Amino acid sequence: MVWALESRPPCFERFRVEILQVVMQVLVGITSLLLTMLILLHKGRGGGLSDMFGGGVTSNLGASGVAERNLNRITIILGLLWISCIVVLGLITKFDTGA
Amino acid sequence: MFSAIARIFRTPDLRKKIGFTLGIIALFRLGSFIPAPFVDFGNVQLCLAANQGTSGLYELVNLFSGGALLQLSVFALGIMPYITASIIVQLLRVVIPHFDTLYKEGASGQSTLTQYTRYLTIALGILQSTTLITVARSGALFGTSASTECTQLITNDAWYAIMLMVITMTAGTGVIMWMGELVTERGVGNGMSLLIFTSIAALFPGSLSAIGQQQGADTLIIVLIVGVLVVAGVVFVEQSQRRVPVQYAKRMVGRRTYGGNNTYIPIKVNMAGVIPVIFASSLLYLPALLAQFNQPAAGQEAPAWVVWISNNLTGGDQPLYMAMYFLLIIGFTYFYVAITFNPEEVADNMKKYGGFIPGIRAGRPTAEYLDFVLTRITLPGSIYLGLIALIPLIAFSVIGADQNFPFGGASILIVVGVGLETVKQIDSQLQQRHYEGLLK
Repeated sequence: MVWALESRPPCFERFRVEILQVVMQVLVGITSLLLTMLILLHKGRGGGLSDMFGGGVTSNLGASGVAERNLNRITIILGLLWISCIVVLGLITKFDTGA
Repeated sequence: MFSAIARIFRTPDLRKKIGFTLGIIALFRLGSFIPAPFVDFGNVQLCLAANQGTSGLYELVNLFSGGALLQLSVFALGIMPYITASIIVQLLRVVIPHFDTLYKEGASGQSTLTQYTRYLTIALGILQSTTLITVARSGALFGTSASTECTQLITNDAWYAIMLMVITMTAGTGVIMWMGELVTERGVGNGMSLLIFTSIAALFPGSLSAIGQQQGADTLIIVLIVGVLVVAGVVFVEQSQRRVPVQYAKRMVGRRTYGGNNTYIPIKVNMAGVIPVIFASSLLYLPALLAQFNQPAAGQEAPAWVVWISNNLTGGDQPLYMAMYFLLIIGFTYFYVAITFNPEEVADNMKKYGGFIPGIRAGRPTAEYLDFVLTRITLPGSIYLGLIALIPLIAFSVIGADQNFPFGGASILIVVGVGLETVKQIDSQLQQRHYEGLLK
């Protein structure tokens, strides 16, 4: 198996890396857009600037319902996907320029 | 004190909250080191090492993002777009009546305002990431005198690569915003301010060791002593307030009595917090930015006004810059206090619930009195802010450290302010279960 991998023509190897790169780029783009939208869907609890640097205590009105909890779950999964795609893309770029 | 700290970790609820907060902070720092796609990590590191200590265009912003900006990481913009967006929304309350009615509406209206702030944050994220990437692409990120590595920070120049970087950094801004909100909701303290705190504190060890290496151990010790003194002073002024006494009339509703108690309105010496400093420094970056854009091509003479700006308005050691900084901070302090504290509203509320300040009639005289007290107490507050902001500019140009030294200006105010708030919140959580908290 190892022998088979090594005997492949280098241009084929190069081609495969490029496909992976393109797929990852598309994935990063899509997940970024989706992530931004999902985060905007969340209910803001920032409280604004006044309590940011010393103000009253923010009251947390309303417990998060089922919808919010599901939204949290989806956002976390998507966030993990997003960050891992970026890392893979970064690794490809690094080894590509290094090789 | 130590038993109180031990008690924090014995309280399951509080332990969980603090653990959550620390976890988010760790994630935030981790993300600051992941480079965005198409960024040449090696070249960026080379440039960072080569340009350490020199002042570039993006110093303050880089400070607020914990050094992530110049690394062109996924979280390069940090919390800055959110701060800018909240400041803008807050200022728009003066201009747009709709925003003001929303603000006065109570919780539901304010959550609408928060939602507007979030949309604006994303919009600003797109704008700022585009600017950042354009600057990085043109090679001017590390100043004009950079070496060739610094002009090749991005590996791919195609339009789709640039687009992808912008989208990624914008998503990063959104993620930071969400993490801040999560901390506010489930952790300890206010998430956004804790994240700023983290970014600023993350730069402390680096710049301290840089000073130690460049200037020797004795300078380092002097700097540390000055730092401790400044922190003590800031804590003192931040905690000081004038208490305007308020007497509530006794009311009988049915068989119960209400009111009849003495309270006070706390008027802090520094009511505006750090916001004036942030305003003033971002406004003073505009001339430098203008000069940067009008930099002539190599071999040509720069126009006279560009030379004048770069001689007078770009660095912290220029007298005109210092004077303008100081005056702007004083002006913005008054401006911001006027926005956040409305004496007429407070007087109206007091009248409604039967309260009055002893010796002063309810209604308009009360509002006038409050306004008088507020204006008088803001004067030392604003001068204090101005002086604190000037400390790094004066003291450290004497020693020779670089001017965005951590112990001074906006950073120290933010770190101390956020630290105090967070400790107070932990304390109040502790007091729900025990009689004694962290603070005595």
